[in-house]
Amino acid sequence: MNLNFSEEQVMLKETIQKFCDNDYDFYKREEVIKSENDFDLNTWNLFAEQGWLSMPFSEDSGGFGMGPIELSILFEEFGKALVIEPYLSTVVLSGTLIDNSSYEHKKDIIERICSGSLHISLAYAEAKNSYNYNLPSTSLSSDLLLNGTKNLVLNGGNANKLVVSCIYNEELALVIVNADKDGISMNTFPTVDGQSCAEITFENVSINSEDVIGTGDNAITLLNNSISLATLCVSAEAVGCMSSCYLKTVAYTKEREQFGQPISNFQVLQHRMVDMFIESELCRSLLIKAMLEVDSGSDDMHKHVSGLKAQIGKSGKFSAQQAVQLHGGMGVSDELMIGHYLKKLIVIDALFGNTDHHLKKYAQ
Amino acid sequence: MELNFSKEDLQFRDEVRSWLENDYPKHVKAKQDNAEPLTRQDMVDYHKAVSAKGWMGYNWPVEYGGTGWTATQLYIFNKEFGLAGTPPLLAFGVSMVAPVIYTFGNEEQKAKYLPDILEFNTWWCQGYSEPGSGSDLASLKTKAVKTFDGKHYIINGAKTWTTLAQNADWIFCLTRTETTSIKQEGISFILIDMKTPGIEVKPIITIDGEHEVNSVFFTDVKVPVENLIGEEGKGWTYAKFLLAHERFGIASVGGSLRALNKLKEIASNLENTDLDKKITELEIDLNALEITELRMLSDLENGGQVGAESSILKIKGTEIQQRLTELMVESSGEHALLYPGPHGFGSNDKPSGPDYSADAVSKFLNMRKTSIYGGSNEIQKNIISKFVLGV
Repeated sequence: MNLNFSEEQVMLKETIQKFCDNDYDFYKREEVIKSENDFDLNTWNLFAEQGWLSMPFSEDSGGFGMGPIELSILFEEFGKALVIEPYLSTVVLSGTLIDNSSYEHKKDIIERICSGSLHISLAYAEAKNSYNYNLPSTSLSSDLLLNGTKNLVLNGGNANKLVVSCIYNEELALVIVNADKDGISMNTFPTVDGQSCAEITFENVSINSEDVIGTGDNAITLLNNSISLATLCVSAEAVGCMSSCYLKTVAYTKEREQFGQPISNFQVLQHRMVDMFIESELCRSLLIKAMLEVDSGSDDMHKHVSGLKAQIGKSGKFSAQQAVQLHGGMGVSDELMIGHYLKKLIVIDALFGNTDHHLKKYAQ
Repeated sequence: MELNFSKEDLQFRDEVRSWLENDYPKHVKAKQDNAEPLTRQDMVDYHKAVSAKGWMGYNWPVEYGGTGWTATQLYIFNKEFGLAGTPPLLAFGVSMVAPVIYTFGNEEQKAKYLPDILEFNTWWCQGYSEPGSGSDLASLKTKAVKTFDGKHYIINGAKTWTTLAQNADWIFCLTRTETTSIKQEGISFILIDMKTPGIEVKPIITIDGEHEVNSVFFTDVKVPVENLIGEEGKGWTYAKFLLAHERFGIASVGGSLRALNKLKEIASNLENTDLDKKITELEIDLNALEITELRMLSDLENGGQVGAESSILKIKGTEIQQRLTELMVESSGEHALLYPGPHGFGSNDKPSGPDYSADAVSKFLNMRKTSIYGGSNEIQKNIISKFVLGV
């Protein structure tokens, strides 16, 4: 048994860490969020140059053939720095789904994702089907006209292409479509964590038969695997947020003096920070288990991802709430990162099924 | 033992309900029910309506124009207002500075300030916390130095987390008039007109995107000595008196009951969640809190004293308020990730999904402050362990 990262994985972690620590500035991030843009294009291009956008894709498609372990490493660091660039939607949700499909043009699409020139969003959610992604009401008719409304499409406003789940011949199907095609209209909305999502309506949008990239059981597997991998990624991101929460809180309480001493002297605060540390370590353990299961493609992988996500929802909120509480008024100020970890962890709990949902899935 | 209200109390409750139904300003109610932001004018209209009914001095003795209500009546008033979803009445004037003025102020001060507070002609804010003095409030450093002629104080320093200072006409401040070996001594309670030169108000934006709190900077602010309340150096005593006055209502039973009822209604339309059990647990918590508050009221009404155990109301009241907003976020499911900002989505392009999810996260984020302000819940526990448990 060896639960340590390989040498290559350690190097990858160090590179990403270095970028996040030195080059990903929180105040610049805030400026980007307040601007017209949803993310920073230079940063995205840098991700491409570093090869990070190519990480999870098969070597056949021009990727590095890395898996859930490397993605978890990346997302943990992204979590610490509160990265807003839409890696999750383009690379993880849509890119890996396409790469795993037998879509004719997948090589071309993956190449363009890797080079940073193409954004794709996965339209998996609808207003009425809370967390039940396999039963959309969006439909594809026998003459291949797409109709319906998708919501919470992550980074949808910036997407050049969309992967849309729908019902075709009474089965789940996945289609790929250009976002500017006639019959597509969208509204974009900000998300709590400073990103954006879209609500997209399809009205008699004609789909080429070759762009139906999966149907039936194949579509279900493609969609579920993609969402499980994304769930793993946001859980790793949460572990990054949680470790930053306790580290920053420890540093703050050592510095902040009240009653003539650093407030870290107070045992009640020490124990609270120890609890934050313990929660973060337990989540890391479940993350390791889940990423190994997903890496091996085991039958139990979805179950372990659910176990992880259920714990992340609880522990994440606990850690961030305590971080805010121990920072006092500063914790609720928009100027400090602390409150933004809370926002991120709320979003992560809501995405792809909250604690309640995954507890039920795990117990099934 | 009798847990029911008297006939008179029930009549009073009906009177409050009738006012809320008929005379609570409709435009304020409409905005409040739709989770729209209230303007300064809306808040003024609302307070003036309460004032017109003669209820503004809800915790004042009759001689100063107050209602002279019993603790039970005050409790009923708070609960019914909370249940009706009204904005909380601003405490800074009527229930914070005013009791200090009518208890420790001189006749000129009472005549100058109290009528305007009662009619809500003046908006007050509280100058307590400083960047270096939060939980350890008595370490405050804002200086008030008397001029040579003895007619003015010159004030220098900074206050922070000052709620709605951007709207305020006056601020009551704890200032240091003397540096003493015991930090609680040498603090004086001074009223300052916000229009005085040298005062600068800078917004602090909180994580829910709101501008509710501010930093207030004082640079050579010249204040007449007539604005000192009571004796120089006794400010800490007055501040403690003020806090004791603030305990009731802090449990927010009415507002929490309203939120609980809304949550129950939402949960009844949701399938496949564990919300019901969580809501039931919370309902029992809220019940326990309400009866605890009533026990304290009963002690007061029967000639007893309520001491530091009233910190239970702050701790449990805020925990329940926070938990309610947490469950509202949970019931929003994946829609919780949408962020409308503090002023809601525009009316034309609202996202689909449940209405209640629109401000669920904003409220959740906003409520984080409740366990921090007014003496953090950790400080409240210190108070109970010191003064109740005697450890």
